[in-house]
Amino acid sequence: MSHIKQVFVILLLALFIEPVSAKEPLVVVVNKDNPVEQLSRSELIDLFMGKYVAFPNDIKAIPVELNSDHQIKVEFYQNLVGMPLSRVNAYWSRLRFTGRKRMAVFKSNENDLIAFITANKQAIGYVPQSLITKDLKVVYILNE
Amino acid sequence: MNKSGLVIRLAIVIVFTAVIVGLITTQLFSRFTFVNEQELGKQSIKQLYSTVSPTASIASYLNDKGLAEEVVNGLISNDIVTAAAIQTETLRVESENYQKSTASVAFDLFSPFQKDNKVGVLFVKINDSYLAAKANKISATNTFVVAIEALIITIISILVTYYVITQPILNIGKALHLIRPGTSERIKKPHSHQQSEIGQLTDDVNDLLAKAEQQMLREKSLRNEVQVLESKFRMLFENATSAIVLVAPQGDILLYNEAFEKLIDKLNLSLKKNYGQYLEDLFIKKKVLHEQILIAFANNESAAAELELISYQDDKIWVQVLVTRLITDDFLESYQITLHDISKSKYKISLLDQKANYDGLTHLLNRQAAEQHLRQLTESHSPFALIMMDLNDFKPINDVFGHDSGDELLIHVSSQLLKILRKADVLSRWGGDEFVIILPNTSREEVIKVCAKLAAKLSKPYYLSQYDQSVFVTASMGVSFYPDDQVELLELIRSADKAMYQVKKEKLTNNDLHLAFTHDPANIENDSKRQ
Repeated sequence: MSHIKQVFVILLLALFIEPVSAKEPLVVVVNKDNPVEQLSRSELIDLFMGKYVAFPNDIKAIPVELNSDHQIKVEFYQNLVGMPLSRVNAYWSRLRFTGRKRMAVFKSNENDLIAFITANKQAIGYVPQSLITKDLKVVYILNE
Repeated sequence: MNKSGLVIRLAIVIVFTAVIVGLITTQLFSRFTFVNEQELGKQSIKQLYSTVSPTASIASYLNDKGLAEEVVNGLISNDIVTAAAIQTETLRVESENYQKSTASVAFDLFSPFQKDNKVGVLFVKINDSYLAAKANKISATNTFVVAIEALIITIISILVTYYVITQPILNIGKALHLIRPGTSERIKKPHSHQQSEIGQLTDDVNDLLAKAEQQMLREKSLRNEVQVLESKFRMLFENATSAIVLVAPQGDILLYNEAFEKLIDKLNLSLKKNYGQYLEDLFIKKKVLHEQILIAFANNESAAAELELISYQDDKIWVQVLVTRLITDDFLESYQITLHDISKSKYKISLLDQKANYDGLTHLLNRQAAEQHLRQLTESHSPFALIMMDLNDFKPINDVFGHDSGDELLIHVSSQLLKILRKADVLSRWGGDEFVIILPNTSREEVIKVCAKLAAKLSKPYYLSQYDQSVFVTASMGVSFYPDDQVELLELIRSADKAMYQVKKEKLTNNDLHLAFTHDPANIENDSKRQ
């Protein structure tokens, strides 16, 4: 049992280390037509953790999330709030009981996510730096 | 029970101490408990905070009223919390009974995602009265326990003291009460106190009892000795044949024995407390007694005297009186008077005296006594006349009728002669039919008169019943005067004798002649002629 646990831990560590070793930072992007040029870390947290549902310029924001425990999603939250995804999910579950509804759009992969942001001016999402297109505008760079 | 008894006193002290100690203990404990409970309360609040802090942080972060209310309600559902409130920049949620004025504990709330980002404050008001009640409840329990403890300690202390100390002491005391000092009775040592101080006390008490017994035995034997001695003295005193009386200087009788009682009874007197100084009222011659005492006491001697007692009886009672002065230790004077009855010896002496000085037949003084009397008179130079008388014709009567008749006649003559003589005169039988008559302070004329009477008396005949015959005698008398005729007694007698023989001689011629003087002024010449 302990062997299995050890192996699991090592695998998990390998998962974390791999992208870091790849040294590919994650970036937060918006539609290139979105007037927002740059966001602070706090503004990002407030948008993604559901405190605000609008950009600082009061334009409604639509956060775009990857489904379930996507590797990039895990990395993103780890970088943004320093929490594993499970705790972030628990946070949302907790809020659901109070009647709060999350204003977010869920996509199953990076390509769908990029396509949604490209098509929607209000959308905001996170992608690996390497996937940036000319239709996207980087407003924040994580794990620099 | 005794109010100041050991058990009561001890009980009071123990109960008092227990109450005070109990009070102090419970007070201290109560304070300590209260502080402790408050501390515990704070601890509990902190724990509560840590329980609700994630939710409270989220509520504050999101300014979510519903979530905040949930947190506040959750908090006040605890007994220890009276009120709670959450304050953020834009939101304030507080419980219904929240009052700003009362003290509260404040906890800062941070963003769940940014630990350095303060998003609100959580206020919690601690339920002090609940804490106090809890503390009081604990204190009450403690007080009860302490009280029970004190009660148990008190009861045990009292019981132990009573059975271990008080009861043995009480038993010793009771035993001591029942013990008669001076006997061999002793106090029993309590079993549980063979070596203890109470045992020591018992030993000491027993030692004391032993000493008391010894002392009493010694005193008893001494008392017995004294009693024996006293009874002996009493016997000696009571059974003494002589009356012994102890009198005070004023004559009050202090002590007397049975013999004295008998003597007083014999005197037909009543027993009195006082018979005058030295019992003087009992004696006929008080003066003699006082003189003797004066002389004797002056020489520091006992006074002795032979005195006759006053008596209403015929018998004369003579006693030898011995008065001794006694000085007691405290310088009080008293007199011991001994009255020794010498009546019998006195009587015997008087009988002897009678025999020695009187003639057995005629009871007249004998020659010796007459000579003694004469000697006394000459020694005191008292003048007197001496008559020498000789009976004539006595011898033939004696010869014819016998000695008995002679004696009878002599008795008759004596009685006849006594009838003539005065009280001061002395008649003595000089021997045989010779008599000497002593007439003190008399004159020649009187002598002549007396002699004539004597001769006349004798001349009467005497009837001898045995022989039915009358006889009579005559007498020849010679007289000499002292000191006129002779100073020398023998010469005086001889001259009287001579005169008497002269009469006898001349009687042959002169029958009437019966008297002659030694020196007759009328007959001097005759006498000298006759010689």
